Amino acid sequence: MNAIAAGLAPPRDRALVKNNDSVRVAHYRLMVLMLLFALMVGVISLRLLYLAVFDAPDRSPVASAIGPRADITDRNGVVLAATIKGISLAIRPPRVIGDKERLAAELARLFPNRSVDDYRRILHGRRKFVYLERGATPAKIHAVRLLGEPAIEEVPEPKRFYPQGTMAAQVIGYMDIGGVPVSGMEAFLDKRLTSAANGGQPVALSIDSRVQAALESAIRTSAEKYLAVGGAGVVLDVHTGEVLAMASLPVFNSNAPGLVPVGTDPLRPDARYNRAVSSVYELGSTFKVLTMANAIEHGVITDFGKRYDATAPLQVGGFRIKDDHPENRWMSVPDILIHSSNIGTARISEEIGPERTQAFFRQLGFDRPVDLELGARGKPLWPGFWARTTVMTVAYGHGIAVSQMHLANAYAAMVNGGILRPATMLKLPAGQAPQGKRVISEQTSYRIRQLMRLVVEEGTGRGANISGLRVGGKTGTAEKNLNGRYIHSSLVTTFAAAFPMDAPRYVVVVTMDEPKGIPETYGFRTAAWNALPAVKNVIARIGPLLGVIPDPSKDIDVSDLMPFVYKPEKKDTGVHAID
Amino acid sequence: MNRDSIVPTPLRHIPWRLLALVVTIGGFGLVVLYSAAGGNMRPWAMSQGIRFAMFVGLAILISWAGEERLKRAAMPTYGIIVFLLLLVELFGFVGGGSRRWLDLGFIRVQPSELMKPVIVLAVARFYDMLPAGEIRRFSAIWPPALLIGVPAALVLVQPDLGTALMICGGGVTVAFLAGVPLRLFGGAALALAAAFPIALSFMHDYQRDRIEIFLNPESDPLGTGYHIIQSKIAIGSGGLFGKGFLAGTQSHLDYLPERHTDFVFATMAEEWGLVGGVALILAFLLVIRWGMRVAGRAKGRFARLTAAGLATTIFFYVAINLAMVMGLAPVVGIPLPLVSFGGSAMMTVLICIGMLMAIDRSAQRP
Repeated sequence: MNAIAAGLAPPRDRALVKNNDSVRVAHYRLMVLMLLFALMVGVISLRLLYLAVFDAPDRSPVASAIGPRADITDRNGVVLAATIKGISLAIRPPRVIGDKERLAAELARLFPNRSVDDYRRILHGRRKFVYLERGATPAKIHAVRLLGEPAIEEVPEPKRFYPQGTMAAQVIGYMDIGGVPVSGMEAFLDKRLTSAANGGQPVALSIDSRVQAALESAIRTSAEKYLAVGGAGVVLDVHTGEVLAMASLPVFNSNAPGLVPVGTDPLRPDARYNRAVSSVYELGSTFKVLTMANAIEHGVITDFGKRYDATAPLQVGGFRIKDDHPENRWMSVPDILIHSSNIGTARISEEIGPERTQAFFRQLGFDRPVDLELGARGKPLWPGFWARTTVMTVAYGHGIAVSQMHLANAYAAMVNGGILRPATMLKLPAGQAPQGKRVISEQTSYRIRQLMRLVVEEGTGRGANISGLRVGGKTGTAEKNLNGRYIHSSLVTTFAAAFPMDAPRYVVVVTMDEPKGIPETYGFRTAAWNALPAVKNVIARIGPLLGVIPDPSKDIDVSDLMPFVYKPEKKDTGVHAID
Repeated sequence: MNRDSIVPTPLRHIPWRLLALVVTIGGFGLVVLYSAAGGNMRPWAMSQGIRFAMFVGLAILISWAGEERLKRAAMPTYGIIVFLLLLVELFGFVGGGSRRWLDLGFIRVQPSELMKPVIVLAVARFYDMLPAGEIRRFSAIWPPALLIGVPAALVLVQPDLGTALMICGGGVTVAFLAGVPLRLFGGAALALAAAFPIALSFMHDYQRDRIEIFLNPESDPLGTGYHIIQSKIAIGSGGLFGKGFLAGTQSHLDYLPERHTDFVFATMAEEWGLVGGVALILAFLLVIRWGMRVAGRAKGRFARLTAAGLATTIFFYVAINLAMVMGLAPVVGIPLPLVSFGGSAMMTVLICIGMLMAIDRSAQRP
C-alpha cells in the first residue's frame, strides 16, 4: 500500500469485499466503454458508407447524360443542327468569399434577367447552386472571370446549335434546356443520333436548304403582303416521296425556342406548330383534281366534251350548291376545272357515288394521319355520315379536312403516273425509292396532267404560268370552319402545283391562313391572289436549281382537249374574280 | 506454457499475432504514403518505414520492462513531462502555428504527445494507491482532476485543442473505470452543456467561426472548410472499391491538403475505396480489442486501469481522426496512428502497445 492510504486502512475482510465489488464495477464499466467504442466505430463506418456510396460526387454529370449527339444535315451536307461546346455559368452562394452586396450589384449588371434584390436573396439564401446563364458567350465568361469570385462556376455543357437559325425550325425541332429533344426530327432521330452504333455520323434529311430557303422566303413575302396570320408550304419529289422543303409560318428559332422572333406578334398562334403537317384544313377546290381523277379512272368520264348543267345553282334537299362566279351555262369537263365549277363537280360526283368516292379518298390516306417521320401529325376530319350532299361537297373539298402534306402526297400520285408513295423527311439513297402502290392508271395520270396544265394556261391558275417551266396546278379557297359554322371572313387559300407537266418531278403546295384583300388585289383574297404568287415565286427560283431547264419548246400536249375549252366570243376579261 | 519448446522464452512471450497486425497496418500506411508521393519512396515512405521499424523495436523493449517497473516509473515520468511542458511554454519554438516542440539539441520532442500515455499511467497509479473505500469520497476526485487539469491546461495554451482533449479523455476514462460514481460524470456532462452557450458568448469571433465552420464547412470554402470538403470529395470519389493504387486524383493533384498526415485516410479511401477503409478500421478495432482483453485478464488494479486507459488512448487517436476526416468532428489536428506520416503519434501508439505487451507478460507469468 502507500503512505496516504496507510492510516485509513479498513479491516481486512471489509477491504476484500470492497475489492471484489470494485473488480465487478471495473469489469462492468469496461463493458460499457467497449460498447461505447463499438457505437462510435459503427457511426464512423456508417458515415464512411454514406460518403463512399451515397454522397459520391457526380463525375461529369452533363457529358454522360447527353453524350456526343451527331449532326443533322440537309440532303447536300449543309449542317442544320450541330453539337458544340457550351459553358454555363452558375454560382454556389455558400462559397461566396467577396462582399455579397457588391457581388449582387455586379451580377445584376452582367445578368440583367434578375434584379439586384433577386441576387441579394440568392446570395444570402439557402440554395447551394443557382444557374446564372446557360450557354454563356465567351465575352460574358470573360467578364465573370474578372469578378474574381471563386463561387462562380463555369459548367461545361454540350450545346445543340442550329447554324441556320429559323430555317426549317418545325422540321428540325429543338432540344429543351436539359438536352432532351422536344419535337421535330431531333425527337424522331434521338436514338440514332446518340447511339454508339451510329458512331456520330451525321444524319441527312431530305430537305434541300436552297429549296427550303426559297419556299420560306416566298411564303413570308406573301404572308406579309396579304396580311395572313400564317402560312405553310411543301415541296415534294413526286418520284421518291422525299420532302425537299417544308415551311410553316410563323417561325421560331431552334436556338431559342421559347423566344418569339423580333417583329412577330406574340399573340399569334404558336410558332412551334407545324402547319404543313399538324393543321388540317378544308382545302377546297384543289380536291376537284382528285375527283376528276377518280371519275376518269372509273369510266364516269370517257368523253371530255360531255357537258354538265351549270346554268343554275344545284338544289339538293335543303342545300344549295352554287358557283362562286357562275358561268351559267353547260360546261365541258376541262371547263369545270378551268373555271372551278362546284355545280359541275357535284354533278360528276353524283355519278361516281359514295362508295367509290370514299374508297378513293381512303386509298389516298385521307382518313388517317399522314405517314411521315414527324410527330404531331394532324388527324383528318373524315365525314362521319356520307349523305348525298356529303359526296357532292367532298368532291370540291368541303366537309373534309386534311393536312397540306396529305394533299401534296395525293398530287404527287396524280402526276407521277399514278403511284402513291409514303412521304419521308430523310434523304433516300439513289434508286431506293419505296415501291408505293398504284392509285390511278398511267392514262388517268396523263389526263390529270393535261387538265392541271390547262388550269394554268387558261383558268384560275393563269398567274402561275412561267415561261418554259410547264407549270400545272389548281387553286382552292375555303372558309374556316369554327365549331361547325363557316366564318365568311376567314379564308384558307391553297395553290397546289406540279412541274414540269410533260414529265413531272416536283409538287409545290402553299397554303395561306386568313389572307386579306389589299388594294393591289382589288380587295380579292382567294387563292389565285396570294397562295398562287408564292408558288410561282418558288417554282421560278427552284426549277433551274433542281435541273428543270426552262424550255419554251417543251410542253405537255393539250391539243386534244382544246376543242372542249369554251372561248367567249367577245368578252374582255379584264380583272377576273377567279376561283 | 510449454517449457520444453525450442523457441527461447523471451521470443515465445512476444504476442506475434498482434505484432503482425500492427506491422500490417504500418505497412499499409507505407503503401499509402508511397502513393501519396506519386509513386515515390521519398519524401515520406522511406523515412516513415525506418522510423516504424525503430519504434516497433522500442515497443518490444518496453514489453520486457514488466508491470512493476511501469508502476514505479509512473509518477516520476509524469513529473518530468509536466516539467517539459512548462519548458515548452517558456522556450519551445513555434511550428505549424502553435508552440509544441522542444529542441533538446540532439532531438526535437513534443512532450504533449508523450503526456497521452503517461497521464493514463499517473491516474491509474493514483487509483491503485487509493484505498477501495475512498472511491466515493471527494478525495478520489480532486487529485486526479489536478493530475489531468495541469497538463491539459498547459497543452491547451500552446494551443493544441486536440491533444488537450485526448489527455482529458485518457485520464477521465481511467477514473471512470476505477469506479468513480457515475453521477459525477453525469454532473460534469450537464455542467459542460450548461457552460457551452455561456462560453460561446465569451468566445472570440474567430473561435465562434471555427465552430460554425465545423457545423457548415461550406461557409468557409477556402479555410478549414476546404479540408473537409476536399476530404469528403476524395472519400466519395473512391466509391466502393476505389480508383486503384496510384490512381487517386484528389491527392495526387494536390487538392487534398495534409494528404500524407492528418488526412491520409482520405488519400487511402480514394484509392482503396470503402473496402479499404472498412478493412483499416477493422484492423484498428482488432488492436483495440486486444488491448481491452489485456485489461480484462490483467492482475491488479494498476495493470487493469493502465491497460484499458492505453487501449482507450489508441481508440481516441483513431476515432477522432476518422471523425474529423469524414466531417463528423471539427478539424483538430489528430493524426491517424501508424498510417499518418510523422514520428510523434507513431511513437506514442507504439509505446502504448509496448506497455500493453508488458502488462500482458506480467499477467501470464504464474
